[in-house]
Amino acid sequence: MYSEQILERFQNPQYAGGLRGANGVGKIGDEECGDIIKIYILVDEEGIIRSAKFKVYGGVCTIVACDEACKQLINKNLEEALRISNLDILEGMGEIPEQKEYTASLVEEAIKNAVEDYYKKKEKEERKAI
Amino acid sequence: MNRRVYLDNAATTYVASEVLNEMLPCFNAVYGNSNSLHSFGREASAIVDRARDRIAHAINAGKSNEIYFTSGGTEADNWAIKGIAHAYSNKGKHIITSQIEHHAVLDACKQLEEEGYEVTYLPVDKTGLVNIIELMHSIRKDTTLISIMAVNNEVGTIQNIKAIAKIAHDYGVIFHTDAVQAMGAIRLDVQDMEIDALTLSAHKIYGPKGVGCLYLKNGIRIDNLIVGGSQERAKRGGTLNVPAIAGFGKAVEIATRDIAINQQKLRSIRDYFLHSVNERIDYVHYNGHPQQKVNGIVNLSFEMVDRESVLMLLDMEGVAVSTGSACTSHSVEPSHVLKAMGIEEQLANGSIRFSFSKNLSKSDIDYAVEALEKVVSKLRSISAITKAGRK
Repeated sequence: MYSEQILERFQNPQYAGGLRGANGVGKIGDEECGDIIKIYILVDEEGIIRSAKFKVYGGVCTIVACDEACKQLINKNLEEALRISNLDILEGMGEIPEQKEYTASLVEEAIKNAVEDYYKKKEKEERKAI
Repeated sequence: MNRRVYLDNAATTYVASEVLNEMLPCFNAVYGNSNSLHSFGREASAIVDRARDRIAHAINAGKSNEIYFTSGGTEADNWAIKGIAHAYSNKGKHIITSQIEHHAVLDACKQLEEEGYEVTYLPVDKTGLVNIIELMHSIRKDTTLISIMAVNNEVGTIQNIKAIAKIAHDYGVIFHTDAVQAMGAIRLDVQDMEIDALTLSAHKIYGPKGVGCLYLKNGIRIDNLIVGGSQERAKRGGTLNVPAIAGFGKAVEIATRDIAINQQKLRSIRDYFLHSVNERIDYVHYNGHPQQKVNGIVNLSFEMVDRESVLMLLDMEGVAVSTGSACTSHSVEPSHVLKAMGIEEQLANGSIRFSFSKNLSKSDIDYAVEALEKVVSKLRSISAITKAGRK
């Protein structure tokens, strides 16, 4: 069902875990749909994503999709991050079963939520400063 | 390859050497067509007869000719449900089954619904038991068949088959049971338990794949399954798979002969496994009946982790388990059995079936539990669900 490439990445994801100092968190999914994703981003003062990590409750492809999302996020500015689509994620993941392609759409949503969360937090901070 | 431990014996077992030895001569020494009149055919026919006798004896069937060989449990279930329903359609078109049956029964019932039959899918309690009172209330004048599995394949719960069969007969309804997981685990006596039709499969009891049977009490009508051959009293035509049938007969004989010793071993293995899991892993839930269960199947839910991830990581450690039902759709398809038992979504998504064989050693279990602990803790360390966040 899964390629060696997918399984290798599932077993050794590079970006799994929490992220200290993250200033944006994107959450998607719930227990009922069977997948919960949290993407953490650390954005520097120039608006560049310096680090990205994920936490996940889900199956093989959900984990690999999260890992690919984080890989693509690093060193991108926020506008570029918002342009990452499910197709970009799928391309980076390699071949997966068709019924698991939804995982790429889920992480796309999670990325958008993370960027949105960063903007919200920033706005709040700026308001506080005033 | 590193060490491997197989804990998926409810999916299929290895073929026991006694069984294999019984089969081997049937490939090249006794190779006649069991339907042929000459000596080659008669030799093969004798082997089939012996297997039929062994199975009939094991389940205390009144006559050996009440055993019909099939390609396995799925075929026998399909045949029993559709064949009996069709044969009695002039009496009525209502069937009763349970929500936790194998898909071989459930999907056969769905086909009948498409043909205009009505099917009642009985609910179960949180231990997986069918409510007998509810069963009685669902019997109607036009009910022709009740089919309730003897042992559930995902959680191992044993139904009160004798009581259910008795109720069916009190109302003049035919009773079928899928006993694929029951053979070798509990005593099966079709006369004492008043069973009219019963499904068995070889490959769950150290026999070969691709062979099973339907026991059908003489006098119960059933539509023919395959025409074009006189085999199986012309009800299921086709040249018999003599090696597989020989192996099936032997496997059933051994399963009943050794039931006490095997169950004692399986109980020790199961208890040791559960004890080790409880010692090493937190937030684990047991699914199934606390007492009325078979020894070979354990279903556990691990909080905060997804079952597919657990299965695949365990596989990479060489430990084979099952998630109970396939994850195919958009989100992980919840097990229909756990859903019917009312197990909450997250726990159903984190459920794993461990099923044991009589040949597992203590060190196999140690290795498997160690791997399980490692895998579950790895997944929990990156889980988006935290204990504090649990509903």
